[in-house]
Amino acid sequence: MKDWIPFVAVPAVATGSALPGVANTYLTVEQAQKTIFPGASCTQFPVTLTPDQQKKIESRSKVGVRSRDLKVWRVSNGGWFFVDEVLGKHEYITYAMGLTANGAVKQIEILDYRETYGYQIRDEPWRQQFVGKTADSPLNLDQDIRNISGATLSSRHITDGVRRLLATYEVALH
Amino acid sequence: MKSPCIEFKRARPLLGTIVEITLLGTDLSRCEQAFGAITLVQQRMSFHDPSSTLSRINTDASNGPVAVDDKTFRVLRMAHLFYSSTNGIFDPTIAPQLQRAGFLPRRRGERQPRAASFGDVELLPKKRIRFRRAGTRLDLGGIAKGFAVDEAVTILRRTGIKCGLVNAGGDLRAFGPRPFAVGIRDPRRPGTTFASLVLKNCALATSAHYFAARLKPGAQLGPFVDPQFGEFRSELASVTVVAKRALIADALTKVVMLDPDNSLAILQRFAGESLVCTTQGTVFSTPYWHERLQAAA
Repeated sequence: MKDWIPFVAVPAVATGSALPGVANTYLTVEQAQKTIFPGASCTQFPVTLTPDQQKKIESRSKVGVRSRDLKVWRVSNGGWFFVDEVLGKHEYITYAMGLTANGAVKQIEILDYRETYGYQIRDEPWRQQFVGKTADSPLNLDQDIRNISGATLSSRHITDGVRRLLATYEVALH
Repeated sequence: MKSPCIEFKRARPLLGTIVEITLLGTDLSRCEQAFGAITLVQQRMSFHDPSSTLSRINTDASNGPVAVDDKTFRVLRMAHLFYSSTNGIFDPTIAPQLQRAGFLPRRRGERQPRAASFGDVELLPKKRIRFRRAGTRLDLGGIAKGFAVDEAVTILRRTGIKCGLVNAGGDLRAFGPRPFAVGIRDPRRPGTTFASLVLKNCALATSAHYFAARLKPGAQLGPFVDPQFGEFRSELASVTVVAKRALIADALTKVVMLDPDNSLAILQRFAGESLVCTTQGTVFSTPYWHERLQAAA
């Protein structure tokens, strides 16, 4: 690392802090319905998958079904609106998917995104020492760090979830 | 001082990651066009999508010139600029090596080329591209995501939005008069930050191993290929670059990752600053990192 300089964190800027930005709520279910299907109305459509349907969905999509109770709405224009959750190793994502009357994906919106790591809970007292330090910041930052840069967060789990929902549509709603 | 504006955020799965748009006190329907611009970049420059413009180039450019759209050609020209100004450290023809290492999908019937370089790629008049060497394949993964962020910012500004931030899985750009606080993930503890800074009217990108690594756990390998040697380097666990545009920041993270010692002059040429964390956990920065951070506030 020739000619690079050792980095000393500016003490007034919070470092070592947990990431509040990695727990974001973007849209409520109702907002997502209005976003994906503007001007249409959505009526909840209660569906509980039978064990046979579950098996079919799993074999078609190659994705496990975690809940047999679907969160699905019939849209006044003939489309469908789904709310689904996917779970990664560290992330938990709720998203909404709109299908057109023909069963094609119209739009996907993320409703809620959270990350959790085991050591965050363990290290709570250690992290407490940083609380309040930002108040003296010469930058006078009183906003949380809501934006994170790091390596790419994968959307693979959402892709898997969408495949499962499309199979669900074929098997249980079509 | 509390910001008088309310923040609105929307997120969609795009570019293989989660793309988040933050706008201040404005109509969120404006996000549509910005997401649309990002979707267009994905449709044209995705390596994974067999119907993308990039896939068409990879299939056909060895047989003769392939005409492409304006945006794809702009990205290719920028890729060429980085290739020529980094002595080949930045080289999008690494796709076959990435495929061999399992970071990119293989296709049936694809030839394994001899080592190609971007020097074998000809950018011709009328937005055409041709490969001199059969079997050359491009991956724009090191630059297209940054370009997509820039495109989204351009659209938002054009529709009259004064202030906001576009974040494509860590490649992000802030625009407008308000500064945005950005934390940089600690590669050793991805749920925490090891540094933070304030971004105003500039872009920041990070390349690191923690999420991208797909080999054995703890192997500390990311999808970075040294074009000259074809091997993975892992001296650095995380590289962050601040630059004016996201495309520049995105491309420069790859250059620093592969050759930190020679990248300082290149960073200077593109007015970039960088912060890196080694696999040993030591953090280094470019000489003016702090100054720039202060100036941005």
